[in-house]
Amino acid sequence: MSRCASPIPWATLVDYWAGDLIAAQIDEVDDHLFACGSCASEAARVASVTETMREMLPPAVSRARIESLRAAGTRVRESAFAPGERRQVVFEADVDLLVHRLAGLPLADAQHVSLQIVSESTGQRLVTMDTVPFEREEGAVLIACQRHFASLPADTRFEVAVHAPDRSVTTAAYTIVHQYPP
Amino acid sequence: MEAPDAELIRIIARGGGQTSAEAGESRLAEAELCRRFAPRIYLYGRRHLRDDDRARELVQAVLLVVLQAARAGRVAEPEHADRFMLGTCRHLAARLRTIEAREARSAGSDALEVVAESLQSANPWESMRADVGALVLCLGTLDERSRQVVTLTFSDECPTEEIAKRLAMTTGNVRVTRHRAVAALRRCLDVREATRQESRA
Repeated sequence: MSRCASPIPWATLVDYWAGDLIAAQIDEVDDHLFACGSCASEAARVASVTETMREMLPPAVSRARIESLRAAGTRVRESAFAPGERRQVVFEADVDLLVHRLAGLPLADAQHVSLQIVSESTGQRLVTMDTVPFEREEGAVLIACQRHFASLPADTRFEVAVHAPDRSVTTAAYTIVHQYPP
Repeated sequence: MEAPDAELIRIIARGGGQTSAEAGESRLAEAELCRRFAPRIYLYGRRHLRDDDRARELVQAVLLVVLQAARAGRVAEPEHADRFMLGTCRHLAARLRTIEAREARSAGSDALEVVAESLQSANPWESMRADVGALVLCLGTLDERSRQVVTLTFSDECPTEEIAKRLAMTTGNVRVTRHRAVAALRRCLDVREATRQESRA
């Protein structure tokens, strides 16, 4: 594939996939991509990030999101966990999404909730999120466990921190060991 | 086959009803044209139809129409095959759900066979796949502001102006943060992929 003499800038390709270009600019990018294999490859590299993000569920989701997935036909299995609990879950073949309900959290007055996901055996910090959705009335944070998370360490500790308006922080940890039968 | 697009179109146009050597060459040219353009059509479909299944349908429908036109010598300017392809793409994307497009796909010609075979070997959608588990980990390496910008943009489909308002940033700053964040995610995925391949070897 020959190199492009005037490649489309990365920033323009990101704007293109973000839906941040006006119609004339989109047409211009489309024209270029059809005429240029090298820029089309680069556009695919951008899209591999942006479109995978569009399709994937974040690790923590709202109840409303789960209900809309259920309504769309996603097979959801939900399990509740108490603070300090350590339990194994099996991702059975007849399930599309496991929802871990990290319950028992004092969320009535919570200002925001942060989450860390850590590998229990290695201590490796896998995910750190300063703000995640939470269900105030349920007193829970909902984790969307997806089959493609099989590439992550199976022994995960979810560390939740509830931040109150008076700046006090309450923490809770839940250890969930995942099993993905072949 | 490194022939320019125009040459492929001409070979295909010459192929019908001639010697078996010409027919063979024509078949190779058709396969090469499919291999070359399938990823671009798929990209167009993903961007404009925002749906994987419909983008794949578009690839088949466009290639089928283009091969049939090329065989019949109806590609008026072979040196602008890319424009013909894009024009067909725009037209069919708009009409993808109509009977006309479905009929084109079920025309039962052997052009459909060429398209199907080429797509099987070219697999144009693979270059757009990222390992979701790796992407989750890569998202974890971004600073909070960058992660919020890309999540609001691509997961929540928030317009730039709204993101700027919510995060108390200028729209220009949102864009720059997003450009850098997507680049950082792509680099992180590349490193993880390289490490995975090394550990396999």
